[in-house]
Amino acid sequence: MQLSGLKYGATLLDLVGFPHPEFLTGSATNAEIRRLIDAHGRIVVKPVFHEAAGKKGKAGLVRIVDSVHDALAAKRDLFFATHRVGNRTVRANGVTFEAFIESDAEIYFAINESTRDRKPAFTISPFGGTEVEDLAVENLRTVWIDPFMGLKSFDVTNALRELGCPSEYVSPLVQHLPSMWDLYEDYGLTTIELNPIRLHRDADSGQLVPFACDVKAAFDQDNPARKRTGLSDSIFRLDESQFEDEINRLRTYRGQSDAIEMNPNGTILPFMFGGGAATAATETLGERAIFSSDFGGNPPYEKMYDITRIALRHHLAAANVLLVIGGKANNTDIYVTFRGLFDALRDHCAERGTPNIYVVVGRGGPNLVRGMSYARDVLDALGMPYSMFGHDTSMIQVLEYALRIDEWWGNERQPAVQLPETAATV
Amino acid sequence: MRMKQTKPFPYFVGVYSLEELVGKDSRVCVINILGNESRKVTPVSHAYSGGNVVAGVQYGRTGELETPIGPVEVYPSVLAVMEAGRHFDTGVIYLPPSAVAQAASELVTFNPDLKRIVIVTEKVPTSDSRDIRFICQEAGVDVIGANCLGVANAWDKVRIGGALGGDHPEETLRAGSVAIHSNSGNFTTTIAEYLRIAGFGISTAVSSGKDIYIHFALPEFLYAAQNDPRTKAVAIYVEPGGYYEHEALRMIRDRVFAFGKPMVVCVTGRWKKNVSRSCGHAGALAGSGDDAASKEAWFDEYFGVPVFDPTDPRVSKRGVRVASIQHFPDAMRAVYAAIDEQSDFTPDGDLSLKPWIRDTRVTLPSALDIPLVHPPEPYGEQFRAAYRLIGSQPLRRSMRNTSGASRMDPATQVAELHGVSVLDLSTRPLEDNLYFALAKDFPTDEDRRSMNTILHLCARLAKPDLDAVSKARAAGATPNAIAAAALAQQGDPRWIRRTRAYAAWLIDLIREHGIDEQTEHIPAEVGIDAAKTIFFPADHDAEQADTHEPVEHDEVSDFLLTAFRDSEKSCAALHVCRYLIDLAEDRKQQIVDLREFLLASAIVCLFWKPMLKRRITRHGIENAAAHLAAVVCVLACAVDDPAGNEAWKRCATGPLRGLANSFGDTAFAYLFNREPTPEQAREFAMLLGLTITNGPGTLSAKGAKESVSARNHVSMAYVGFLANTGLAHGGNGFEAVKYLLEQFEHTKLKNPAEPAAEINLDELARNAASRYGEFKREQRAIGVMRPAPIPCINHPVFRGAAVNTDPREDFVRRTLAESDIPNVFLEFYHRLVIELQEQGITPNVFCVNIDAVLAVIALKLAWGDLKSQAMSENRLQEIVFSLFLYGRITGIMAEVIDHADRGRDLDCRTPQSELAFVR
Repeated sequence: MQLSGLKYGATLLDLVGFPHPEFLTGSATNAEIRRLIDAHGRIVVKPVFHEAAGKKGKAGLVRIVDSVHDALAAKRDLFFATHRVGNRTVRANGVTFEAFIESDAEIYFAINESTRDRKPAFTISPFGGTEVEDLAVENLRTVWIDPFMGLKSFDVTNALRELGCPSEYVSPLVQHLPSMWDLYEDYGLTTIELNPIRLHRDADSGQLVPFACDVKAAFDQDNPARKRTGLSDSIFRLDESQFEDEINRLRTYRGQSDAIEMNPNGTILPFMFGGGAATAATETLGERAIFSSDFGGNPPYEKMYDITRIALRHHLAAANVLLVIGGKANNTDIYVTFRGLFDALRDHCAERGTPNIYVVVGRGGPNLVRGMSYARDVLDALGMPYSMFGHDTSMIQVLEYALRIDEWWGNERQPAVQLPETAATV
Repeated sequence: MRMKQTKPFPYFVGVYSLEELVGKDSRVCVINILGNESRKVTPVSHAYSGGNVVAGVQYGRTGELETPIGPVEVYPSVLAVMEAGRHFDTGVIYLPPSAVAQAASELVTFNPDLKRIVIVTEKVPTSDSRDIRFICQEAGVDVIGANCLGVANAWDKVRIGGALGGDHPEETLRAGSVAIHSNSGNFTTTIAEYLRIAGFGISTAVSSGKDIYIHFALPEFLYAAQNDPRTKAVAIYVEPGGYYEHEALRMIRDRVFAFGKPMVVCVTGRWKKNVSRSCGHAGALAGSGDDAASKEAWFDEYFGVPVFDPTDPRVSKRGVRVASIQHFPDAMRAVYAAIDEQSDFTPDGDLSLKPWIRDTRVTLPSALDIPLVHPPEPYGEQFRAAYRLIGSQPLRRSMRNTSGASRMDPATQVAELHGVSVLDLSTRPLEDNLYFALAKDFPTDEDRRSMNTILHLCARLAKPDLDAVSKARAAGATPNAIAAAALAQQGDPRWIRRTRAYAAWLIDLIREHGIDEQTEHIPAEVGIDAAKTIFFPADHDAEQADTHEPVEHDEVSDFLLTAFRDSEKSCAALHVCRYLIDLAEDRKQQIVDLREFLLASAIVCLFWKPMLKRRITRHGIENAAAHLAAVVCVLACAVDDPAGNEAWKRCATGPLRGLANSFGDTAFAYLFNREPTPEQAREFAMLLGLTITNGPGTLSAKGAKESVSARNHVSMAYVGFLANTGLAHGGNGFEAVKYLLEQFEHTKLKNPAEPAAEINLDELARNAASRYGEFKREQRAIGVMRPAPIPCINHPVFRGAAVNTDPREDFVRRTLAESDIPNVFLEFYHRLVIELQEQGITPNVFCVNIDAVLAVIALKLAWGDLKSQAMSENRLQEIVFSLFLYGRITGIMAEVIDHADRGRDLDCRTPQSELAFVR
């Protein structure tokens, strides 16, 4: 759960009173844009991405303009801009018009969890405005934070002094940055990054004031403190498909219900059990997996039933293979999960007809045989073909077998199995 | 905060060797020991570990947790455990996520001897994990987890925390020389299983969890593995996210600690780089340097050899990385060869594809057609046992005020049975709905014929004593009381007991021998079984329990014998049944209780498919004869003239012909003593269908459920239903009929489907409205502020709109119109509600409710008989009550079966806390 930019980031900054530039969203009227330009001389037009998307400036996605005409032109160009981030391409959905903050200095500041030290830590550099990966190690400092004390001013002072930061910048930063820990700790964040912080001299007081000109934040989805921000969960769901949204709504601490749609045009509908199995299975199935999932953690019957109904409703029609895959479970009751899964399949077929697909099962764990027997009876009654493997077969081999079945079934789409006359069902 | 440091680490680590992490001397206290997961896992762990759980905590409660080796005492807090003198060094936390940090703090606060905490809980907030780390570092306590399955020591046969090794840990966790550290709990066991198959056992296995904070991470694990004399090599499973592995390798490289044992490492999750959200385990954020590819590179650089290739197994003495977990066995073998060591024991197989079960419907291409293997024991035996488990297997629970059969749709206020609204059910004949109540599927045409036949046969076998019924009627008993008395007399007769036993025997026989509709040759063992149990004279080792004498053939058995021989159905039960009949003939023996054997075969055959689909329980099928007998008995009790009722005579004593005809028509004829026209049959079906259920909260359903809860015979559940109907529930339908009779009393209406021209409905409605207006004014004048309403209008649920309609009534009205089935009484009702509004008696147009439909159909069906004086008004009143029983009994059957399948004895009791005393 991430957000970037001032559109939502400003809400976070306001919670702890950290200054940020005045800004308008893409729906601003020409008059509002004109007033912003009149007040600040220049404004910055940025695309709104709903997840972390760095190097926008280098990609030409940040425009500084001084007229309404140019601001509108920038809005047109950037509103649906696409941006390559690593291996991913993200698409903007809107723009912000932000007051341009005159400054001689740009500061980088972030708090996150350091898995090297197993402590929270802040990272700071007076050479901000660029991605942290691009900064030389000697130009930044990372200092761990005692969570029971919070971010200490003297740690900020010492870090900036070591980095050769001009002394006039230190005091305003030391005054404002400790509040970032309050934000981080109290609102369930796992990352907060302000980059750049631009230091602007206030015309009236002559004091330097730090303005956070861009914000990136990642939230801990297991931490209910997130809800205190007042940000609607829906802003984190903008990049979720309808399928993911429905599955993730079932998320409770009993049993996993995580799913990510990998390829809606894939041909294998995989129900993966266990974090490790999900990781390995997604890797092995590649783009043929319609989604990646972890439905392990001993889900109760009702949850497994609901998850399956959703998955089948969205994706069964495209599939050649329905795959149930996991290692040798420790405490997941296979019988309960298979009952939920295959009851849902049966009821789906009763409503929408029996699909022409092959079922592959690879699983181990408590009550395995009862679970497999249950599945067999339902599949036999539905007339669906299947192969089931126990834990004495490598899980990866079962995945590879499913890939081969998928290829054969897809290429030589097998005719639907002809059953004797079946009951019309409800 | 000044945190502890233990050399060689810059933080606290309390373990020198993996042997110490958990061992036979570890003593455990489990927090939330009676929670859902712990309740199942802790007893297995406790027994496997030789009884190392000294206490459990269930906040605010005391008690015991039963385990195979004796109970574990449960205390209300950690402090209480300490005060009781229970000493432990390891805490295991099973609490929900929000409570985990508090529990860790409590353990640290009250137990100065605490050495480790294992946190099983998933989805612990990162900030809480952070706090736990700081608290435990300060206190000098090691933490394993969260989101993990704990630690197992195979040498000491101890597991602490979660369920490593599942419910049979001794099966997977064999003692050996490999230590496992895995980010995945499931893979901890899976890797142990793969290694075991290849001849490698386990020293200690650690499920580390894969949250952002991994408290017992790779650096300290490797340090402890190096110092563990049992461990010769380590197997590591790694996922993206975190620099723990980087730090471990850096420490080895920088000689922070010495490490000289080989590692086999699997890193998965390259794909996670391309997604921005975590799925399952916490992953690396896109663009960070701790993704799977980076981790692979860290290890490859350390090993100095590329990823393991089973066809060219190159490894270094430091170990090797494998591309997938299936290569652990081969890579471990190669690594052991490199360090000149032997595997721990003889391998007992491999990980090749071994399908256990497969369908026989499709022919796989040869490359995919891998031969089936027999599952290893005990799984093979479990399959044989599980094959006998057929049909739905719902979990038992309290079913008080709960139903898995019926419900009221809160949005539409239309009741549903098995997910189908009563509106849809009202378009089907009685026999379809009775089948549906049992099977949860609708019947095919063939099924319908079988259902009708079985119903007609049951009607003969379960016929009530109509002389007694007549006497009760003459004494003024209501229809429900008459039927209840007849049913109570029925009990659980021999023919039902034998049919039930035969159904159970047949199901077992079919499953035991793997027979299905495709089976061409029935195994000879079936005949041997039969000869021992159901043939007469019996073989010398016979097991016949109920009787040793065959009952003579009767007309029912003769009928069924012919029907079975002529049947073209494809069904396992039919195959077996025919086979046994022929076999008995060949052996010149007889089948004991042939009639019941044939009836049971017909029932099993009829419901086999829904049972195979796990829609219904085998218990439901075994008792189907009892249910159907109860239903037909109740229906027959409505016959008021046994000597003159042709349908009754045909069913009770007539020749067995036309049994596949609609039983709904027979039921109609029981009531009206004539065959229905097609139009009347539809109206009759609609009337019954609409009454099937109103949800499990109705008095009638509760009566039946309570009787089941008291563990009565099937017939008594229907007595409970009948006892809970009466003049206010079921019998009240006559109020509307009576009202209509009054309105139409002086008209010349002959046929309600074709009102003569002289019937002026508008005028009738206008007069009725004005009479009611007058009545209302009179009542108010004498101080009655809520005068009695006109029956069947103004259902409160739908009050409020300018023109109100009851969607159920609307559905029926449209359906009747589409079928061109007019009903003058219904039309009258609709004109009446408009008149009431136009005359200012009601503020808006009230709705005509569903009860009106029942009344108008009942009156229309009886009108001709009433007018010809073939039927008295009293008889009409009985018929209206009986019609309710006729309809509702279908829903009751579903409810009774559902409660029997899911409920528990006495589960309908009301707890003392909900009872009140009033003066």
